[in-house]
Amino acid sequence: MHDNERRLSDYIDQLNAEKKPKDHEHLGADPELQKLFHTARLVRSLREPAMPERDFPAKLVRAVTDQLVQTKQKKKKRAWMASIVGIAAVLALSLLMHIVSLFDQPNIVKAMEKAFQDVTAYHGFLEIVETNAQGKTTTQAKLEIWADKHGRYYIRELEGTNKGLITVNNGRTKWQIRPSEKQVHRFPAFPDPYRFAFELGTEIKGIKQAISTNIIREEKTGNRPSWIVEVTPQGGEPYRIWIDKETRLPLQKQYAMHHGIQYKLTYTKIEWNDVIPEKLLAYHVPKGFQEVSQNPEQIVTSIDEAKESVGFLPDTVSQIPPGYVQDRIAIIPDKKLVKLYYRALDKEIVIIQGKAIGKWKLAPTAMVGKIHHQTAEIQSPVVEESGVLGAGGPYAGLTDLHSIRWRQNGFEYAVIGHASLGDLIAFTKELTNGAFEMPTHKDPFPFKPKVEVPVDLEREKNDQKKRRCWKFALEIGSFVCGSSICQPANVPWRHYWRLPDSL
Amino acid sequence: MVHANEGSRVNWIEHLCLSTREPVYRLIYFKVQNREEAEDITQETYVRAIPYLQKNHVPPDKQMAFLKTVALNIIRDRWRQHQRRGTTADLEAIAPKEAAFEDPVEWSVQRMTIEKALNELNEEQRTVIELRIIKGYSVAETAQIMNKKETTIRVMQHRALQSLTRILHDGMK
Repeated sequence: MHDNERRLSDYIDQLNAEKKPKDHEHLGADPELQKLFHTARLVRSLREPAMPERDFPAKLVRAVTDQLVQTKQKKKKRAWMASIVGIAAVLALSLLMHIVSLFDQPNIVKAMEKAFQDVTAYHGFLEIVETNAQGKTTTQAKLEIWADKHGRYYIRELEGTNKGLITVNNGRTKWQIRPSEKQVHRFPAFPDPYRFAFELGTEIKGIKQAISTNIIREEKTGNRPSWIVEVTPQGGEPYRIWIDKETRLPLQKQYAMHHGIQYKLTYTKIEWNDVIPEKLLAYHVPKGFQEVSQNPEQIVTSIDEAKESVGFLPDTVSQIPPGYVQDRIAIIPDKKLVKLYYRALDKEIVIIQGKAIGKWKLAPTAMVGKIHHQTAEIQSPVVEESGVLGAGGPYAGLTDLHSIRWRQNGFEYAVIGHASLGDLIAFTKELTNGAFEMPTHKDPFPFKPKVEVPVDLEREKNDQKKRRCWKFALEIGSFVCGSSICQPANVPWRHYWRLPDSL
Repeated sequence: MVHANEGSRVNWIEHLCLSTREPVYRLIYFKVQNREEAEDITQETYVRAIPYLQKNHVPPDKQMAFLKTVALNIIRDRWRQHQRRGTTADLEAIAPKEAAFEDPVEWSVQRMTIEKALNELNEEQRTVIELRIIKGYSVAETAQIMNKKETTIRVMQHRALQSLTRILHDGMK
């Protein structure tokens, strides 16, 4: 029986890993165990299927064509002289190698990921060029970019409407030096909804998650031999990206044309470094500049100091989950909130806590877990900012941001972060002495629609296109004075190319 | 449709594969529940089906049904081979009716049957099945979440699947 328990467990593990179970190849299990395998597959069919790897369509066509068409070609070749066959074979092999290299897309994506693993920081010069429907090109901006794997960056606009503008996030605070106004604006470092365009890590992640990637041809970009890859992302229009054949890293990105405007972003020069120079990441207010703080947070040095400010002793995790370290403690004095920051290599989790105020209300889209028979709100991603989430920062609508929120002993807690839900659960369990329970499959969503609302899909599709356009404008908008065609009607012009003061 | 030259034949194959691969893959995946095997069987399906489709001029509106039939036959063949080796494994039996993928109602009924059976398990058994199979957590992760030992999780999932098999079997009587 013990052996069957292990075999069943291994079988489930292999299915979870999307691998063909050994028991599908060598069926030696007893009939009873086979029935359990069968039931496991049946239960698993409740999940959405894992769709094939991105390169599967190309591989499928190639494999099927090779098997069905080559047979006929081989017959023709029998009549050829041996030497000619030999030459042809060499040529065919070369051609095949060429085609394989062209279409070996997962290798491209994997190669990019692998290459980026070796990069700890980079320093580049990014050029943003706009092309209109008549083919006229205009350089919108030239930026100097320093960025590292910890999410820190330093951006200086060298040319463009905001020439001289410097934006920095050093992981503890974010600020923008605005020479035209002689002001330095400070913002919270996390979350950071306005980062910068063509951030390499984000690009590679986007390509990895794309619906499809196709190498369309090879070309030189700034004398660098590159592959041009057409990427169809999970949401939005397809775009093209140029991958350096030598470094295996992105060099250039070209968006689809929207309303007669197309953007192309090119790293005209890029080099790999170990770190961003410390002096660039050191917060300072240049002489003659005024500091304008948009950050409601105040860093404190200890839990006791936090207690003095907010009037209660904040709970801390008894054991920090593996891979994380405590980064800093902050308070929001006017809201009487404490924020404990934990950081892993490329992940950040914040525990927010404060006294429970008002009625406990769940976000309508949340899943519902339990802590000591009380409900716990699980948002993945965060859609609504109720309770301490609302006071903790502008979280809603940010992708890859998850949260778990609950009340306990008169206090409200939220664990929020750019990390897996599993990591958030680990922190939550530490804070609740293991009392947190994930929802059961029965009814993970608390609310059901009572009234069906008719949706005009065509209109919705068009609206989404407009929103994507706006999103893109905001994405590069921190550095580019954008075209009016994409400007959202409800966003003041200056917010369109500057970080909003209300961040 | 038979094409005169190899170039257009390649194009035809490419078009067929790209336009039909997803539903074919989904059907196969539904039965084998792992990507590796589903990709392998999908490829074999096209290799076996295309010569017949071309030779018999199967019209486009019948091609999908034919491809699905071939896919099911391949799965059956593979399973029968295993059966001949002395096992009683039966992938066919676990699968819903062939029509399931064509008929959302059938699929919905199938789903409800499984969910109803899951609801008949006790809380712990349901949780272990949900975490291990539906959510795909490892034994270690499940043990951590449920605050149990890994060996306990293995025993629990074995018993839970035994109970579920019994409930499903009784429900089909």
